Amino acid sequence: MGVAANISQPDAATRLRAAQEERARQRRRTRLLLLAPALGIIGIFGLFPLSIALVYSFLEPGTYGGVEWVFSYDAYVQFLFERDIFDDTLAFNSAYLQIFGRSFGLAITTMIGTLILGFPVAYFIAARPPEQRNFWLFAITLPFWTNLLIRTYSMLLIVRDEGFVNLMLMKIGLISEPLEMLYTDGAVLAGLVYSYLPFMILPIYASLEKFDFSLLEAGHDLFATRTQVFRHIIIPITRPGIVAGCVLVLIPALGAYITPELLGGGKKLMIGNLIALQFGSGRNWPFGAAAALILMAIVLIALLVSLRAGASKEGGHG
Amino acid sequence: MIDVRNVTKRFGQGQAAVTALGDVSLTIPEGSFFTLLGPSGCGKTTLLRLIAGFELPTEGEIALDGQSIGHLAPNDRPVNTVFQSYALFPHMSVARNVGFGLEMLKRPKAEIDGTINEMLDLVQLGEFATRRVDQLSGGQQQRVALARALAPRPKVLLLDEPLSALDLKLRKGMQSELKRLQHETGITFVFVTHDQGEALAMSDQIAVMSAGSVRQVGTPEEIYTAPRSRFVADFIGDTNIVNATLLGFDGDAAKIQFGEGTPLAVHTASTSLAPGPVHVALRPETIRVVDESAETALLRGEVVDSTYFGAGSQMLVRLEDGVSVHVQVSTPRPVGSRVGLECDTSMLHVLED
Repeated sequence: MGVAANISQPDAATRLRAAQEERARQRRRTRLLLLAPALGIIGIFGLFPLSIALVYSFLEPGTYGGVEWVFSYDAYVQFLFERDIFDDTLAFNSAYLQIFGRSFGLAITTMIGTLILGFPVAYFIAARPPEQRNFWLFAITLPFWTNLLIRTYSMLLIVRDEGFVNLMLMKIGLISEPLEMLYTDGAVLAGLVYSYLPFMILPIYASLEKFDFSLLEAGHDLFATRTQVFRHIIIPITRPGIVAGCVLVLIPALGAYITPELLGGGKKLMIGNLIALQFGSGRNWPFGAAAALILMAIVLIALLVSLRAGASKEGGHG
Repeated sequence: MIDVRNVTKRFGQGQAAVTALGDVSLTIPEGSFFTLLGPSGCGKTTLLRLIAGFELPTEGEIALDGQSIGHLAPNDRPVNTVFQSYALFPHMSVARNVGFGLEMLKRPKAEIDGTINEMLDLVQLGEFATRRVDQLSGGQQQRVALARALAPRPKVLLLDEPLSALDLKLRKGMQSELKRLQHETGITFVFVTHDQGEALAMSDQIAVMSAGSVRQVGTPEEIYTAPRSRFVADFIGDTNIVNATLLGFDGDAAKIQFGEGTPLAVHTASTSLAPGPVHVALRPETIRVVDESAETALLRGEVVDSTYFGAGSQMLVRLEDGVSVHVQVSTPRPVGSRVGLECDTSMLHVLED
């Protein structure tokens, strides 16, 4: 008995280990198969186009659009420097930086505008009885059912010289001449705020929906004024929603194309228009690709820095 | 001292208005453990919220130490609340929760830190100061809520059914803990509950409420042994309400008669009752079972049920007029037998309705 047990024990242990390894292998295979669709989508629609852009940005422009398969980093040089046509020397050129700066300024202003308008709306919806909230959310998402281009054209009709706003203001006698609103920065800003407002409202609403409103009473009870309750309780608790809303507005606003084109009249180039121009009449695909990648790099770095800052601030509370 | 004078609170307007409190007047003595007791919807929480300032009275006045506070905002009242759901700030550590009130009052940092430590020691949570509140158990969260509300040293601490979310064992522990805290701090506690056992165990004084009005205010003994009305007698503990005839009054005592029995002089809730049929309250544990023929028997009836509950048995005796009476005994009589019931006349109490 004792001998038999001694012999069979290592044998059983080996078999057990083999079976465990086999199961682990199977689990890995299953996991890979289950992940495949997601990885496939990210690869085909995310990484693949991105690598095309990356490769194109290091090639030379073709005469009639497209690219010549010759390696060159001219596109990136062109972003900061102007090459003299005659002697090939480089001179610093801030024109594209200015475009980037203008776009960032506009996008950040849009973000702040949507935040100021969107937060009260989100709060309003979250404070409704649950059965009414879906109606308000529906109302917020309703504009999405209409194409952005059409909505922007409608804005154009409203703010132009013979538009609704000017007609009304003249009718009630506040002004005698139409205000020049179309093709101004203000018109572009208004258009962007209008277009991106739902992207700010929805994430903030999502974080307010779970908000325990008895915390407000607790705050007031503990001697906080309304402002202090807002600053010390509402804002910190809904911060994830606010950050998400800001990111969701800032990034598309940076690359906005239709709104600056229609409402700004394309008078001032924005990043989106600059990039579109390179692939169109500019016939400089590598430069367009490079501009897009530079934009992406800046946004990524800014996001990482702000996330890091947010994380360390959270840790500081502990 | 809190003085609630003729306070009425209505919610809604016009036809749809609901009266949560109707002309309530109360005096809550300073430094006492005062309980508002009643079934749900009786207005006890509304009264608490009026004192806290979360609601404003439709009519009437609330005064704290002689100063009117009825129309001040919650943050202008030296009153703090322990919420039923605790309402701890989820984004702050335990220590910051406790220090929040003092922080808002812009007290010096050293004072705030000192008070936080003192309060956490008081509720025995010293080592949890840096924890996040969602890492604590329900009982611990409860104690953080207490410490947070006590930290600004309010004149009055309001507690809105704070123990209802705890399990039975924890609740018993917190009852004595609250009692201890009240003694140690000397702060007036106003405690809202629907649990009469809790109210009897903890309170210096109890206000029994129903349907938006205060039915009776008194010490737990007074409320238990001398309920004024059927509602109070019914709501506090087990009680029997039997029919009798009021013959008249002899000073403060009422002269009553059970059936055709001998007239008895007993306590009464009111000396302004008209002679005739009245209701008398008697507690099951004060009743003794005797033979039906005994001279001392006040009531007679038939045993219809008997339930063993460990420490004794509870018998249900149906009286001749059909009213059933609960009696606690150590050795029950068999079901179907006829018995007499006696009790000290000092344990009988005539109700006002």
